[in-house]
Amino acid sequence: MTNVGIIGLGRMGMLHLMNSLKIDGVNVVAAADSSKKALNKAKLLGVKATYADYHDLLSNSSNIDAVVISLPNFLHFESIQLALEAGLNVFAEKPLATSIDECREIVRLVDKSGRKLMVGHVTRFMEVVQKMKRQMNEGAIGDVEVATIEEVINGPFSHPRVPTPVADWWFDPKKAGGGALLDIGYHMLDLFRFFSGDAEVMFAHLIHRYNLPIEDGAIVILQSNSSTKGIVNVGWYQQTIFPKYNFRVLLHGTSGYLSSDSFVPHNLYSHAVKEGLKNLARKAVGKKIRFLSYTYYYESFYREMVSFFDCIRNDTEPAVPAVEGLKTVELIQAAYTKANIRSP
Amino acid sequence: MGNIVGLVKVNNSEDLRLQVSRVTELIDFKSGGSVRSVVVKPNLCYYWDASTGYTTDPRLVGGIIDWIRDKFGDVDIKVAEADASAMRTKYVFPALGYDRLAKEKNVELFNLSNDVLLDETVHVNGREISFKVPATLKKCDLFVNVPKLKIMRATKITCAMKNVFGCIGLRRKMVYHKFLDEAIVGINKLLHPHLTIVDGLVSLGRFPFKLGLIMASVDVVSVDWAASQIMGYRPSRIEFLRLAVKEKLGDPKGLVIAGENLSDFAKVFPKEGFVASRYLWGIQFWLLNAYRRVVGDIIPPILEES
Repeated sequence: MTNVGIIGLGRMGMLHLMNSLKIDGVNVVAAADSSKKALNKAKLLGVKATYADYHDLLSNSSNIDAVVISLPNFLHFESIQLALEAGLNVFAEKPLATSIDECREIVRLVDKSGRKLMVGHVTRFMEVVQKMKRQMNEGAIGDVEVATIEEVINGPFSHPRVPTPVADWWFDPKKAGGGALLDIGYHMLDLFRFFSGDAEVMFAHLIHRYNLPIEDGAIVILQSNSSTKGIVNVGWYQQTIFPKYNFRVLLHGTSGYLSSDSFVPHNLYSHAVKEGLKNLARKAVGKKIRFLSYTYYYESFYREMVSFFDCIRNDTEPAVPAVEGLKTVELIQAAYTKANIRSP
Repeated sequence: MGNIVGLVKVNNSEDLRLQVSRVTELIDFKSGGSVRSVVVKPNLCYYWDASTGYTTDPRLVGGIIDWIRDKFGDVDIKVAEADASAMRTKYVFPALGYDRLAKEKNVELFNLSNDVLLDETVHVNGREISFKVPATLKKCDLFVNVPKLKIMRATKITCAMKNVFGCIGLRRKMVYHKFLDEAIVGINKLLHPHLTIVDGLVSLGRFPFKLGLIMASVDVVSVDWAASQIMGYRPSRIEFLRLAVKEKLGDPKGLVIAGENLSDFAKVFPKEGFVASRYLWGIQFWLLNAYRRVVGDIIPPILEES
């Protein structure tokens, strides 16, 4: 049994908590968040030890094997450092940290501690991405010359039915570390590396549709070591509402192309009903259900959490080790530099 | 002039100062006395700009400021909004271009939540409701209400009276949502805009729509009565309007539409189906919860909040 503590119970942290509760061999024993409401919800879900300060969770971690960290960006480095020093395995939400130096230090600390650290590069766990990668590796489209990868969504401005303020740290370049480029550009740049290997930034442009201290969009052009060119287009300026998800990958190869749109359900509502019925059937015959498959997108969060706990249980290398987080942050900083914006 | 609602059709490229002048002439607007201080209250309920149909277009507010200066000279003008449960004015003003507007027009941006807040209580429909009322709105010589024309799940429509609700100094206006219709009427008993100029340039129905409308009146009930007809709702079926009439906040019986035909706008407005707007999400979420209970699947937090 792997005992886990969840640090940070915002939307992502709460989802990781819910997912962890459903994974065999995982026992969520503690949770920390500054919000009383979130801690009460964690208690209702069966978490016995709750803390208003994550430092208290870490100093009471003798019965904990791993922590899942989903704190605001500016707390990533400190919390990861303290968790590793406490001898814990760590799942860290992206970005690994907000500077290259901090990421390098985390890589060093992981090596020194001998613990596992996996970074939350969740888009790698999307079924559509894995299918495309498999077909590309099998040579289905020849050599990929150009990859276009884009995600334009509402970012922190999702305006839920129960109005919740956008946390102040999102508006603070020092605390957030950046805007849409660091937030969702992180995933898209990582995906380019996932498909095409290590890369260099050739051009970057930051978008400021809204007059905020952080960018609300970015366009980045890259070239991989295997000479694939990448066009990454990300934005926070679109008021898309779930279940709509404006994300796509297009791989242009020498003998064909692959588009993520071909793998995504055309009608997300009928997809949800179909997957729900399949799970009902699985349940009826006593089989394990596919958690969150009805959402198309959120299933990937469950899959990445399973992968993290598997690497601890089997003592294998994490699917996304710290060095992958470092490489992605290096690309982002290069993009900020190219865009003539000093990285905060 | 109380029951006149003026409608003008506007193309984006037109001089908005001129259009504001036209629409106020249609309703024969006259200020009650000398004007030295003016508060203009747009609807900046969230961080989405005017192109989404969510918030008031700063270009229209600019046109209103120019018109005010033409009419009343170099008066003190504040563009005011209060913090809300999900929005902070310190971020929304720059995000939506209001800081640029303030600089260009030499007006002050004002957070009503930081104003002197008066504790006032009213009774609506037998319910006692207390509000934190910004003193500036009570003291100013001219209070111009500049709402957006849009639909809203909780109240079907949101326009003049709901934008006055946005003036409440308390940030967590969510506390009023359990009795929102009464609260909208309640705050409108305490705060009375001298003039309402509606931003229907881009309106929000089932989707954002370039309606090209500016609508004006001195009476918020009359404005909302007309607005609900444009958005495809029978006004008497809008609960806060029904209550407003019952509480004698306004009387739409003698409502006169001046300028363009209301039906021309109503014809093209992308109306929301009643079932879709009121029940569809509720039914879906009920089914999803039932599925979760039976199968043991997970509902992501974003869905629970949506």
